[in-house]
Amino acid sequence: MTPVKPILLAEDNPRDAELALAAMEEHHIADKVVVCHDGAEVLDYLYCRGSFKSRQWGNPVVVFLDLKMPKVDGIEVLRTIKNDANLKPIPVVMLTSSREERDLAQSYALGANAYVVKPVEFQQFISAVKELGVFWGVINEPPPEGS
Amino acid sequence: MESATQDHPATTPSPPPPVSDPAPTGPAPTARVRLSEQVRRFATWMSHWSIEQRVLAGFGLVFLGILVISVMSYRNTAVVVKNSRLDTASHELIQLLGSIEEALVAAESGHRRYLVTGDDSYLKAYRGIMEQMPEFSRYLHALAGTSPEQRERVIQLEQLITQQLEIETNAIRERDTRGAEAVRQLALPGVAKRELDNIHRLIADFETTEQQATGARVLQSAGTTRSTIALLALGAMLQLVLLGSVYYLIHHDITNRRRVAAELRRQGELLQAANKELEAFSYSVSHDLRAPLRHIDGYAALLSKAAGQALDEKAQRYLQTISDSAKQMGQLIDDLLVFSRMGRQEMLRTTVNLNQLIKAVIQDLRLDLQGRTISWRIGTLPDVPGDPAMLRQVFMNLLTNALKFTATRQNGQIEIGAKREVPGEVIVFVRDNGVGFDMQYVHKLFGVFQRLHRNDEFEGTGIGLANVRRIVHRHGGRTWAEGALDQGATFYVALPLKRTSS
Repeated sequence: MTPVKPILLAEDNPRDAELALAAMEEHHIADKVVVCHDGAEVLDYLYCRGSFKSRQWGNPVVVFLDLKMPKVDGIEVLRTIKNDANLKPIPVVMLTSSREERDLAQSYALGANAYVVKPVEFQQFISAVKELGVFWGVINEPPPEGS
Repeated sequence: MESATQDHPATTPSPPPPVSDPAPTGPAPTARVRLSEQVRRFATWMSHWSIEQRVLAGFGLVFLGILVISVMSYRNTAVVVKNSRLDTASHELIQLLGSIEEALVAAESGHRRYLVTGDDSYLKAYRGIMEQMPEFSRYLHALAGTSPEQRERVIQLEQLITQQLEIETNAIRERDTRGAEAVRQLALPGVAKRELDNIHRLIADFETTEQQATGARVLQSAGTTRSTIALLALGAMLQLVLLGSVYYLIHHDITNRRRVAAELRRQGELLQAANKELEAFSYSVSHDLRAPLRHIDGYAALLSKAAGQALDEKAQRYLQTISDSAKQMGQLIDDLLVFSRMGRQEMLRTTVNLNQLIKAVIQDLRLDLQGRTISWRIGTLPDVPGDPAMLRQVFMNLLTNALKFTATRQNGQIEIGAKREVPGEVIVFVRDNGVGFDMQYVHKLFGVFQRLHRNDEFEGTGIGLANVRRIVHRHGGRTWAEGALDQGATFYVALPLKRTSS
């Protein structure tokens, strides 16, 4: 059996991260989730450097990306991923509070695979995160490694 | 210019004021009072004029003045030119008379010498004048001009000269036929001396008259020349006034325009900065304000789940309230963001078919009716210029309200119609038989977050009608409402039928 490929969650707010994890817990996919707290950490993970130097090589099955993050913001991370031939196939889902047209347009222009606005209501948030996790982490077939 | 125009009535009553009494004639003080009264009334009348009318009136007066001056100067100059021509004629006439007199004197003394000596060479002057007389006569007539007095004198002079010459001719013939002795008594005293004296007097009169006329003309010419100079000076002054006014107006206009343009630019920059700030603000609201709410709701849910069993009913209800409040605030923030976007969003400008739009809105709302029956009355609606999505929002909000506030009615009735009261504008109304409202609160209806009902009566955040008003205003229209407690409400939306800028 191939090692389980992780879901990368980029979320600077620990409470949002905890709530997201709680949501995924309900579907028993929380153990697949790797949480990064800023954009720089996401890039460290993807390029196996810094604190992720020794991680198992391979791309995550999906990246959930918040827009507003310290150091390197979501848009910057998205641009880096989609401009790198090795990282480009990774599905990127923008998971953000912003409903602004500008953010939507920019994200899709840079090649985001989906854009989800975090609902205020917890039940909706849970179901959204759960569905996202299940769809991208379980249902969706990830691109073949090394493509 | 204004003051120049206002000064005119005192001097030139050209544009007749409504107070066109005949010129005051009474004693001086009364006349002055009446004049100043007239000026005052004229000024009042003028003050109703627009600045353009005043400028036009001022320019008109100055132009009229210049025109009058030009005509008068022309006529003056014509008089001077004519006088100078007449002077030349007088001068020539006097000279001619001198020549004639000289010739006559020469002829007379020559013929006398001939009578005495018989020497033919003394008749040279006599023959000369005999030859020249018709020529002289023609000149005299030409130069005597139109004065009857002088014409009379010309004829008299001609007669005298003819007489004189005849006498001389007769004397010469006598000498030739009868010899020197026969004319001896004629030669010594001179036969034509008397006539010559008459001629001499006549010519003197002639000259005196011409000189007097010339003198009068010189005086007249001097007078007209002086008045011409004065008129030209006045004309030049008027033209200077005109030029000065034009310069002032243009300068004033340009300065004004520059000032307005600079002001506009500054306001535009301020507005742009304010808009940027607002955008940043709503962006921040959209991002940052929602996160804590999500956390409140989320942790309340997690707590409820973790401690569910251990919590009594009261504690459960508290948790539920926390969660409900968070949701409500989330809704408020979302509505506020929509409202803010509505003001900034670019407007599409197409023609919107309101009939189709209303039909589509009602179709969408049928899902929310939950088995209620509503009797709809929908009139014929016109096409209006505007943004389809925005206008859809307007009628969605109005109809949602109508449905909401008729929820307590057994037979909900909603009427949508259009009427035209002012040309270029259509009034669309939405009338319901719902709970209505008290007209004393009507001014609050369209305000942001203004509600006339408690949340447990009718749900809502109080943003719907604010959005309606904002959209309709951006379309160049108006909104208002009528209603009475428990007797339904009517909401009016007046939309322009022609495109306007927002």
